[in-house]
Amino acid sequence: MPLYVEKKPDVLITEDGVRTDGRLPHEIRPIRMTVGILDKADGSAFIEWGGNRILTAVFGPREVHPKHLALPDKALIRTRYNMAPFSTPERKRPGPDRRSVELSKVIREAIKPAIFVENYPGSVIDIFVEVLRSDAGTRVAGVNAASLALANAGIAMRGLVAACAVGRVENFIICDPNHDEDMWGDADMPMAMLMESEKITLLQTDGPMTDEQFKEALEMGRRCIRFLYEMQKEALKRPYLIVERSVFEQGEV
Amino acid sequence: MMFNSEMLTHKLLREYIEDLVANDQRIDSRGFDEMRPIEVLNGTFTKAEGEAWIKLGKTQVLVGVKADIGEPFPDTPDKGVLVSNTELLPVASPTFEPGPPNENAIEIARVVDRAIRSADAIGLSSLVIEEGKLVYMLFLDMYVLDHDGNLEDALTIASLIALGRTEVPKVILKEDGEIEVKEEKWKVDLRDMPINFTFVKINGKLLLDPILEEENVAEASITLAIDKDRRVCSIQKKHGHFTMEEIINAAGIARDKWPEVAEMIKEVI
Amino acid sequence: MGRWEAKLRLSEGTLLVKNREVVVPGQALAKGKFKPGKDVYVDNSGVLRAKKLGLADIKDNTISVVPLSGVYIPKEGDIVIGIISKISGSTIIVDIRSPYQGAIPIPRGRAVERVDMSKYDLHLGDVILAKVKTFDGSSSLLLTIDMEGLGKLEGGFILEVEPAKVPRVIGKRQSMLSILREKTKSEIIVGNNGRIWVRSPSLKELLALKKALRKIETESHVSGLSDRISSFLSEELSD
Repeated sequence: MPLYVEKKPDVLITEDGVRTDGRLPHEIRPIRMTVGILDKADGSAFIEWGGNRILTAVFGPREVHPKHLALPDKALIRTRYNMAPFSTPERKRPGPDRRSVELSKVIREAIKPAIFVENYPGSVIDIFVEVLRSDAGTRVAGVNAASLALANAGIAMRGLVAACAVGRVENFIICDPNHDEDMWGDADMPMAMLMESEKITLLQTDGPMTDEQFKEALEMGRRCIRFLYEMQKEALKRPYLIVERSVFEQGEV
Repeated sequence: MMFNSEMLTHKLLREYIEDLVANDQRIDSRGFDEMRPIEVLNGTFTKAEGEAWIKLGKTQVLVGVKADIGEPFPDTPDKGVLVSNTELLPVASPTFEPGPPNENAIEIARVVDRAIRSADAIGLSSLVIEEGKLVYMLFLDMYVLDHDGNLEDALTIASLIALGRTEVPKVILKEDGEIEVKEEKWKVDLRDMPINFTFVKINGKLLLDPILEEENVAEASITLAIDKDRRVCSIQKKHGHFTMEEIINAAGIARDKWPEVAEMIKEVI
Repeated sequence: MGRWEAKLRLSEGTLLVKNREVVVPGQALAKGKFKPGKDVYVDNSGVLRAKKLGLADIKDNTISVVPLSGVYIPKEGDIVIGIISKISGSTIIVDIRSPYQGAIPIPRGRAVERVDMSKYDLHLGDVILAKVKTFDGSSSLLLTIDMEGLGKLEGGFILEVEPAKVPRVIGKRQSMLSILREKTKSEIIVGNNGRIWVRSPSLKELLALKKALRKIETESHVSGLSDRISSFLSEELSD
């Protein structure tokens, strides 16, 4: 018996393009990224994006168990996307469902092209994406955080992978769909790019778009991803700059 | 299976920690009955009706309480339902593997659950909406995020905070059997504060709130819960063995420690 | 643009980062005449890019990245601190905190006469100092203890640092290691795999050393590290 019943908003987007959370079509929800928050993991990142809270950790490269899974010439990449029981309005039963199995794969395919797997033959790199609070766009938030956790773990990469979703609500192409738009919008298109070459490593579409709308959506996605990429770089460098500043300040005293 | 410190406790670690204990010292310079600092993080991290993300030293746990409504169990028509579950997330330790809760996770969940239940900390009868027909069901989901020892105490503290913060919509069962969910909120009444205290035995001495390295070399471990009347309300002896005096001694230390931890919990709720 | 102009521009090269700047994976470091050093790759358009999160290190025409984190990948000749994890028949298996386990074959036949067999009296959980003899880059990693100073480590304690920070713990011409040894009055052996064996006079020195190692890890990218560590330890151990 549900305690919370969801209702479709009367208006998803106004004629002026104002969305249910007050944003304009091109505006992204507030984002905060933090790296290195876990002690036992080799690399970790936490992303707060709108109402999403996602924790990612990387272990490895480490020994593969069971041994027969090891690849002779490159690292094996494993990912697990997992939703916490308390991440959704109605409690989610723990354990994998079909959606999380698919998303684990999609995230792995998005991240893998970035990793120099040939540098770590016979080993495994494990990437865990834990959704603590879900609010539309968890897979793209997860990709951003997983990429940060890999860099934080010191793994050799061609570049960071940044991700953002775009979508269509009526005739508007919007970026970073919120919960309402995710539920009742007309199209949803998560995408990720391997920066800086801007190769697309994740692209899914759910909902129809005309050729023109599709091109506009791709272009909007790229703009958002570039913005996310700047935030990623800042998040990775921030801890070092903070230490630098504090050492400098102590020296002045 | 993965190589790890738990399996691979090297001899030097064991010898060093034992030597220190023989000289009344601990590897992180704490006293034997001193807990690590507890930090409660600010912010919203879940969609739960009550939550707490806490750090006990370097151990980090996140507990969320989700609420639902349903029929009571036939043998307890006058009580609500509490379901406890612990996930040892693979992010927390290289030794944790993805998959359904194993023996350890289930034991930990039950140890926390037993403390809360034995002291009737949330008053299960207060969860009744209509006796025999409709009750609140609370799901206590305990997430381990970073494992540096003593998950039992960290999860108990976080669970009490999360439960104490839990607010759910008021529900009325009308005469025609229709369920009305109101805007108004109902708050869980934390009527007791059963806190678990975990000890390990090293070199015949008791150490409160062990870090992972101490757990790995310990001869024995035990967890005791103390309620607000300073009674022992649940016990779980885990591995190894203790003398009767040692257990009485541990209960005494736990009793002495209760007020400061209880005070902290009350403050943050 | 004529062919000569193009060549000229290429030979000049453009540097896109400062020396010792923190760089992220994929970040463009330079174009043109520069050569890729360690943890740098060249992309399809000839741009030199960082492979890891680290510090840009520019020496003459070569740009490298000094990583700020990462697990230990063995190199031949490295000295490592290992823990015996398995003894199976004629081979001792050693955990060296790396994706690859080390193996030490137990000498047999006539080889027994050439080595000190007492060194091979090893048990599960023993800590050893060993040298990487050969490593094929993926599966076969042979270690040796047949050298003066190698073999079982008795007493003391093991601390760990990020393997990427080991060069900073040692310092130029062992300068940092000397500071750590003198100030903490401890015996210290640093393994390339980031395990550090320590024998300190008391817990106080050990804990001060542990804190100093954390400080080296977090402040390695800021210059003047040796001086800071030196005064930090003096302060910690003053009374």
